[in-house]
Amino acid sequence: MIDRIIWREIDWVLLVVACLLAFIGLAMIYSCTRLLPENYALRQLVWLVICLLALFLLLYIDYHFLVEYSYYFYGLLLVVLAGLVFMGERIAGTRSWIRFSFFQIQPSEIMKLALILVLARYFADYRRDKITTVDFLIVSWLAVLPIGLIAWQPDLGTALGLFPIYLGAVFLAGINRKLVVVLVLVGLAIGLLGWNFFLLDYQKERLLTVVFPERDPLGSGYQIQQSKIAIGSGGFSGKGFGQGSQSQLRFLPARHTDFIFSVLGEEFGFIGVVIVLGLYALLLLRIFQSSLKAKDRMGVYIAFLVGVVFAFQFFINILMTVGLAPVTGIPLPLISYGGSSLLTHFLALSLVINVRMRRFTYI
Amino acid sequence: MARIYEDLTPLYRRIRVIQRLIIALVILMCVFIWKMQILDYNRYWQKAENNRLREIKLTPQRGLIVDRNGVILAKNRASFKVSFIRENVTDMNLSLERVARLLSMKKEELAARLAKYNSLPDFVPIVIKDELSVEEVARIESHQMEFPELRLAMEPQRDYPFGPFASHVLGYLQEISLAELRHRKNQGHEVGDMIGKTGIEFQYEEELAGRKGLVVEVVDSLGRKVKELVQRPPTRGNKVYLSLDYDLQAKAEELLKGREGAIVVLDPRSGDILALASFPNYDPNKFIHRFSPQEWVSFVQDPRHPLENRAIRGLYAPGSIFKLVMALAGLDSGLVSPWTTFFCSGTTIIYGHPFSCWYEPGHGAVNLVSAIQHSCNIYFYNLGKLLGIERIAAYARQFGLGKLTGIDLPGEKTGLVPDPEWKRRSRGAPWYPGETISVSIGQGPILVTPLQVAVLTGMIALRGKRVTPHLFLQVERRKELVKYSPAQPAGEGSWSGKQTIFDRVITGMWKSVNAGGTGQGARLEGYDICGKTGSTQVVSQDTADKLKRKIKTHSWFTGFASRDNPRVVVTVIVEFGGMGGQTAAPIARQLFELYRRKYD
Repeated sequence: MIDRIIWREIDWVLLVVACLLAFIGLAMIYSCTRLLPENYALRQLVWLVICLLALFLLLYIDYHFLVEYSYYFYGLLLVVLAGLVFMGERIAGTRSWIRFSFFQIQPSEIMKLALILVLARYFADYRRDKITTVDFLIVSWLAVLPIGLIAWQPDLGTALGLFPIYLGAVFLAGINRKLVVVLVLVGLAIGLLGWNFFLLDYQKERLLTVVFPERDPLGSGYQIQQSKIAIGSGGFSGKGFGQGSQSQLRFLPARHTDFIFSVLGEEFGFIGVVIVLGLYALLLLRIFQSSLKAKDRMGVYIAFLVGVVFAFQFFINILMTVGLAPVTGIPLPLISYGGSSLLTHFLALSLVINVRMRRFTYI
Repeated sequence: MARIYEDLTPLYRRIRVIQRLIIALVILMCVFIWKMQILDYNRYWQKAENNRLREIKLTPQRGLIVDRNGVILAKNRASFKVSFIRENVTDMNLSLERVARLLSMKKEELAARLAKYNSLPDFVPIVIKDELSVEEVARIESHQMEFPELRLAMEPQRDYPFGPFASHVLGYLQEISLAELRHRKNQGHEVGDMIGKTGIEFQYEEELAGRKGLVVEVVDSLGRKVKELVQRPPTRGNKVYLSLDYDLQAKAEELLKGREGAIVVLDPRSGDILALASFPNYDPNKFIHRFSPQEWVSFVQDPRHPLENRAIRGLYAPGSIFKLVMALAGLDSGLVSPWTTFFCSGTTIIYGHPFSCWYEPGHGAVNLVSAIQHSCNIYFYNLGKLLGIERIAAYARQFGLGKLTGIDLPGEKTGLVPDPEWKRRSRGAPWYPGETISVSIGQGPILVTPLQVAVLTGMIALRGKRVTPHLFLQVERRKELVKYSPAQPAGEGSWSGKQTIFDRVITGMWKSVNAGGTGQGARLEGYDICGKTGSTQVVSQDTADKLKRKIKTHSWFTGFASRDNPRVVVTVIVEFGGMGGQTAAPIARQLFELYRRKYD
């Protein structure tokens, strides 16, 4: 099934850009955690190697085959998520981790892949110009189930990360104005209900400090404040590797995960920021270009939705560090510390490469 | 094929919308960050300077270490230290010179100290001198404005009120090294912290350390406090009670003064160690200063090895002490009975080699009891020949030789019980029968620690019951008192064979002390002490020469009291002490005497 010609079509540009971003991430993780007892950078490096292996392994499987079986994968993950909600062990306040002997995995991250594949399957033969209401409702259910379970863990950040996949699929399928209005109304209703009945106090507090950052001097408002100071004080060329006073002092609780971009901004300045933003823009455009080049609807959907996942997390995370978006616990893909996230995003890239390299094959 | 029927143009249109959106957003973000980092740089830079968090860790009082009766062996006292903040320096060379002059240090010393922490960010304060005198504190304080790079702080400092007393048990503190800083998982450590490096200070670090207090303040660029955000007082460490008895330990150390050797006083019923002395010792107060390279080198290079805890790390041939194990092995295996006799003429020929008894005229006909009483070599040569090395080794291990006793101190050594397998592996040579004969009287490659001998003696005293020796008695946490509980189930490693084998051996030990045997130096009127002496040839002639010693034997004594109600074991080894009966036995007697006065 594997043709040597197909292998020549691997998107090396995408792969190299992704690896560059991951290496920049490693350097930043090392810079802000090197004085901690845990060796975060080394762990991340090990994960990176695993991710690259996984990426190449997944390329062997034709994406049609993956999509074919996506419902089983999706169903299995739903069961795991449900199991976690009811029986999982609490780590850092949420039940989103499965703990193995020396590492932990977050099934909710991997759910992103399952959702992309399921939606690609649903729309693979969809020939209408706009989505019908019935199809819209079915698709909504496909998305709401995992999002609900993950929000229940409670892990709002990751749950939020699934949302753009759903919205992206609906957008790509075509949506008429009437439905948009309905959607907005339903969203408002869910928001109100959620605020009054489902959100935990700390989550409400988070949302409130987004609007009124002064509410909590040491909490998220303060984090944003300090993150802005870190980036702003980096100046044109930064304070130098390992010398950022804002980053090295321990006021940022998630400086190697959610706020890694602030560390970059402080230690490498505007130059570093432009390099990373440039690389990221290249990555995103390349993914969407693969979507345009896909040979069938299924491939278009897969590459597009992966692009949406990256774009959403990228923008939300960066905007958060500069104070324009709420602190929601969304990491910066490929750069932030975290094995599950790294693996998910490398596998997502693998799907895009998969689509692109098989664009000339007709079975 | 599929492509022919598909019209993907509406999809492409939507994708291009998203692409343009992304380009626009990235450009907007660049502009926004450009504004932050370039246009508003000065404002943010000022904020970073003026709105900087300063964390001050408050060192907690380390937990007290006390003996079983509450005598304080380790406490804390207030001490001033001064730290250096490289970030606040404009001209490093000049600053080093001025600071060195202010603190009357050498400039090179200061530079070397700072170079050690080069990899840390510049704003991390590095302790450059502690134990400041009142004058120094005053001098630094009055010049504070001229030296923005210096910061004074007070911290509790470990203090051992009795100096070198029980130094090998207590251990010492040293500044945490960079490697340890990285490896220690129990977070909260930082540069300049003092942690237990050995002994009880190391073993019970987590109990003793306490929890740091924390003050987080917002400070401006001159280090002036703007506001305080967090204030958490330190929690003092827990009080650890040791099983040591101050009087016995002091007596043991006094008796060893001027020699090299070790003493163990053990309660065989509970495993409580009442005294664990090793000599020469050292003053742990000296290690507390963050820098004493000269003294450290002199300690490490001292040929008498004062840092070595001989009681658990000193490896000695057991000499005649080993005859106890041989006797037990002979009786248990049935190869000899209490009435079996061998004739001692002062010398004998075994495997074609002459072997002699220490008593040249010979002991005549000896049975098991009199062989122990007079420590007759010939009897045990014959017994060893009957047993063979494999069986001797197996019994020695059953009595705890060649393995750790499990004491709660770091660095205990296992010793060595030789057998043919060991010799093949380590020397690549076969076992010679003649070596078995040497091992039978505790010479040759066999090695034990004084603590192993004490535990062995306790096993004999209690007729096979074995306990794990320990120094930890209890810990007083804030509200609760946690007592020692053995890590191993009771009876672990105990003798499971015949109980009767111990009676004759104990009789022999009693006679050795009380009926004109080799151990009579330990005799105490009205107290049924049972014991055994030993003398071992010093293996290394070099060592003896280096220390300019004429006598070339180590002197052993181990015993327990009383015969019918064993409550205490005393084990003594004196290096270059001559025959066991001469030196070690009288020392043991004084300890038995003190124990009886205090506890019986």
